[in-house]
Amino acid sequence: MIGDLLAKLGEFGQFVAAFSVASVRNPPPVVRTIEEAYRIGVQSLPILLIVSVFVGTNLSVQGHNAFEQLGGQAMVGTFVALAGVREMAPIMVASMVAAKAGTEMASQIAVMRIQEQIDALEVMAIDPLWFLVTPRLLGILVVLPALTMISVATLLVAAWVVAVSQLGLNGADFIAQCADTTRGADLVYGQVKAFVFAIIICLVSCFYGYTSPKGAKGVGQATNAAVVVSAVVCAVLNYLLSELLYG
Amino acid sequence: MSQPVVPDPIIRLVDVHKRFGDLIVLDGVNMEIARGKTTTILGASGSGKSVMIKHVVGLLAPDAGEVWVGDVNMAVAKPRQKLDVRKRFGMLFQHGALFDNLTAGENVAFPLQYHTKLSAAERQKVAQEKLELVELEKFYDAPTASLSGGQRKRVGLARAIVMEPEVVVFDEPNSGLDPITSATIDQLIRRMQQQLGITFVIITHDIVQAVEVSDWIGFLHKGELLEYAPTEQFLATRHRVVREFMKRYVDVPDVDEAELVDP
Repeated sequence: MIGDLLAKLGEFGQFVAAFSVASVRNPPPVVRTIEEAYRIGVQSLPILLIVSVFVGTNLSVQGHNAFEQLGGQAMVGTFVALAGVREMAPIMVASMVAAKAGTEMASQIAVMRIQEQIDALEVMAIDPLWFLVTPRLLGILVVLPALTMISVATLLVAAWVVAVSQLGLNGADFIAQCADTTRGADLVYGQVKAFVFAIIICLVSCFYGYTSPKGAKGVGQATNAAVVVSAVVCAVLNYLLSELLYG
Repeated sequence: MSQPVVPDPIIRLVDVHKRFGDLIVLDGVNMEIARGKTTTILGASGSGKSVMIKHVVGLLAPDAGEVWVGDVNMAVAKPRQKLDVRKRFGMLFQHGALFDNLTAGENVAFPLQYHTKLSAAERQKVAQEKLELVELEKFYDAPTASLSGGQRKRVGLARAIVMEPEVVVFDEPNSGLDPITSATIDQLIRRMQQQLGITFVIITHDIVQAVEVSDWIGFLHKGELLEYAPTEQFLATRHRVVREFMKRYVDVPDVDEAELVDP
């Protein structure tokens, strides 16, 4: 078990090293990066907006339920800002993008492996790691921080709407609490998290696709492993980064 | 097997060994492939043909031995050297290996985009010319998904020759095709070899195709090259295994039983 894990880590390290060399040796594929960024963004945005809205509403409701018993309803804005901006938005966006874009990366590359398209790239003297991974990584690095900011804004607006219209809290007070709690650094830290998660999601997904076993079963395994490993690693890193940045 | 004298070889395999786990796939293969000729490597499924050809294009490295393409030993070549060698190669994959998000013409033009400074219009013109060579000139804008198996192979062939390579490798060019489409592919290979003078290397288990298009034929059996000779001589082989493989499909000259050789 531990031996398998170490072997996989070694394989992943080799993959990242080879990809890094390929990326340095070749010019950045600008057009394909824009295409990937657009695709990842468009793919993930609708579901992200929906989930962000309802996470925001639930943070308001649960915050209210928790603080009402202590007579601290006025703390709801603070709670939403702390939980939503610092923790929920970055990890939620990472999970959504891993589920939507990460699985697509893994399955696309795995199918290309089966259909010998990756071999074809090599024979055409085009480095497949540069061709397949570089634009996806650059694209997700552009998009994930932006999606995180959109998620933060959506979540806060949804929380405010519920706080005011359903829970009867004062809207101006809610905004003031959020503003008092959220520092500029929180938004920067959110971007740092998004940046790290983007790298993890892309490299893990591309790795599992690239090294996928042959056959339909292999594509399924690669896709499944990509989303599971990305989500778990991002969750662990979210904790470590929070400790590092806020601890 | 004694080594035949191959004039002006462009590819040389010297005592190439390869195994995957306990499975020996190539067991000391020695072979030279003549420049400007069509050479076919025959063998049953699992005989090591595909593995052998992947060594030639540098997709696999041998456990032991040398794989020379011109003056570069692909077994120990640096990545940059391999890339340079690959620019001299075209390859038609078994199922075409076309990119499904591109049209037929875009697939053909694809290598030009990365290895030439041609404008988009110039790339399209060159790709269109290659599509004409494979008689698919009206298919430039056809989505790849709409192509039949035979058409995909012809588009793959057009892509393989678009950079005007020195060597084109065919991996099972007739697999999965009906006899009429297979015959069309064979004619295409023969005609293009005559027109372009490129070195063609074909791996197949289709003995009829091999005899139809080849100048030289080799037979790989359990990782060993049992027979390798110009086509006429190959048909007169004394190897029992090779004769058994061939005689269901082509006429093989009678030979005295005592003269037959077993592996």
